[in-house]
Amino acid sequence: MAPPIYSALIISLGLGTTMTFASTHWYLAWMGIEINTLAIIPLMSQNHIPRATEASTKYFFAQATASATLLFASISNAFLTGEWDILQTPNTLTSSLITLALAMKIGLAPLHSWMPEVMQGLSLLNGLILSTWQKLAPLYLIYQIQPTNSNIFIILGLLSIIVGGWGGFNQVQLRKILAYSSIAHLGWMILIISFSPPLALLTILIYLLMTFSLFSSFMLTRATHINSLATTWAKIPILTMSTPLILLSLGGLPPLTGFMPKWLILQELTKQDLAPIATLAALSSLFSLYFYLRLSYAMTLTMPPNNPAGTLPWRLNQQHNTTLMALTTTSTICLLPVTPAITALLPL
Amino acid sequence: MSYMMYVLLFGLVLGLVAVASNPSPYFAALGLVVVSGVGCGVLVSSGGCFLSLILFLIYLGGMLVVFAYSAAMAAEPYPEGWGSWPALRLMVGYVLGVGVAWVFLGEGWYEEDWGGFDGLVGVSVLRGDMVGVSVMYSSGGWLLVAGGWVLLLTLFVVLELTRGLARGALRAV
Repeated sequence: MAPPIYSALIISLGLGTTMTFASTHWYLAWMGIEINTLAIIPLMSQNHIPRATEASTKYFFAQATASATLLFASISNAFLTGEWDILQTPNTLTSSLITLALAMKIGLAPLHSWMPEVMQGLSLLNGLILSTWQKLAPLYLIYQIQPTNSNIFIILGLLSIIVGGWGGFNQVQLRKILAYSSIAHLGWMILIISFSPPLALLTILIYLLMTFSLFSSFMLTRATHINSLATTWAKIPILTMSTPLILLSLGGLPPLTGFMPKWLILQELTKQDLAPIATLAALSSLFSLYFYLRLSYAMTLTMPPNNPAGTLPWRLNQQHNTTLMALTTTSTICLLPVTPAITALLPL
Repeated sequence: MSYMMYVLLFGLVLGLVAVASNPSPYFAALGLVVVSGVGCGVLVSSGGCFLSLILFLIYLGGMLVVFAYSAAMAAEPYPEGWGSWPALRLMVGYVLGVGVAWVFLGEGWYEEDWGGFDGLVGVSVLRGDMVGVSVMYSSGGWLLVAGGWVLLLTLFVVLELTRGLARGALRAV
């Protein structure tokens, strides 16, 4: 892609999210989301292979439907209550419709069907942008809705955790696994958003760290299948140590960072007298843990069939810039002891 | 006047049903043209005559271009119209759906005032929709720049998406 057009698209990605973050009017927030959708479509299909074009088309359909619903709901809200302010969305029918539209935007169950097939068609970098940057603007809007009735969020959250776990069960393609992992983590986030918005913010931040590290690890070896993941040990041995730890952190095992949001969420749900929901969420996360463990097993504990030349590659001077990846990987593995400090700083 | 509004809205819903029932693009794009034309009529009946004029010129004009190009690209000897069984059953289904929604949610929407564009302003020299355009150029500030940038962005997006030529997958022909 020509550099001026590429920069224009990247700048527009930033502009869209900034616009949504800076707005108090529903129309401007919707505008920002539409700019994001528009700017990422050519980025997704830039290599012009049919699979990528198919993924961009599906993404566009899903996001356009959700945007139309969002616009319809916010205009209906303005018609019924005369209020365009995001923070003042009274809890009527339109507030739930806005929530559902935003849930479809970020791929929560039961509006998640587009997510795995779109992720599968993208390159790893585009998949990274899709599962991190594109989620920020709708999540901020959900954060600001401030609902009084938590039923819809609990249903969306529990369904997403179950679907994110169960759906990823039989997958061997890494990008589909990452899509289901995104569904499950966003399910945890939306479960707690009506009880403790700062905890939801923590969940999404930790998820961004973890998924960035995992995507970066996969991008280093350009692995998109469990088979290619399993031969990584010969190419970059350090990854066979760090990637399983990132995967287990995504699965939420102590003493890794991924345990922190799940722990605090379960504690908050118990305090709200919702222990059965907390139990169901925790048990459903075991599904996700199963396929993270399978990936770790394939990477570290197996030596798949390989030709002898593949087991002893030349150690050439690589041009990878792994600074950011090193930072996020370390945070993914080592941040659990900082939990008291984070808990104290959360309400900020 | 209320009968006129009734006819316009009826045409709007029918046109949307005609598009959504998935006929050949010839007829679906025709449905789009009808919907935008009738929508402009609805706008006039609600008091937004300037907006309706602009919409007619720009949107309907663009839609006509879309119709022409889709007619050119999707040319086939036996196009599937609204009489074919798959499109017909979808049409009937959608009309029934509209009827159900009307029964459940239509309270207070019949013979009621929709509220015009001038709303609470009262009697004023400044019309709502015309002043809106000029306000965007004066107090609109950076939003005008953002609007212009988004239009340019749309151009880049479309150009980049259709750049494939021989190596793209956007066209099946």
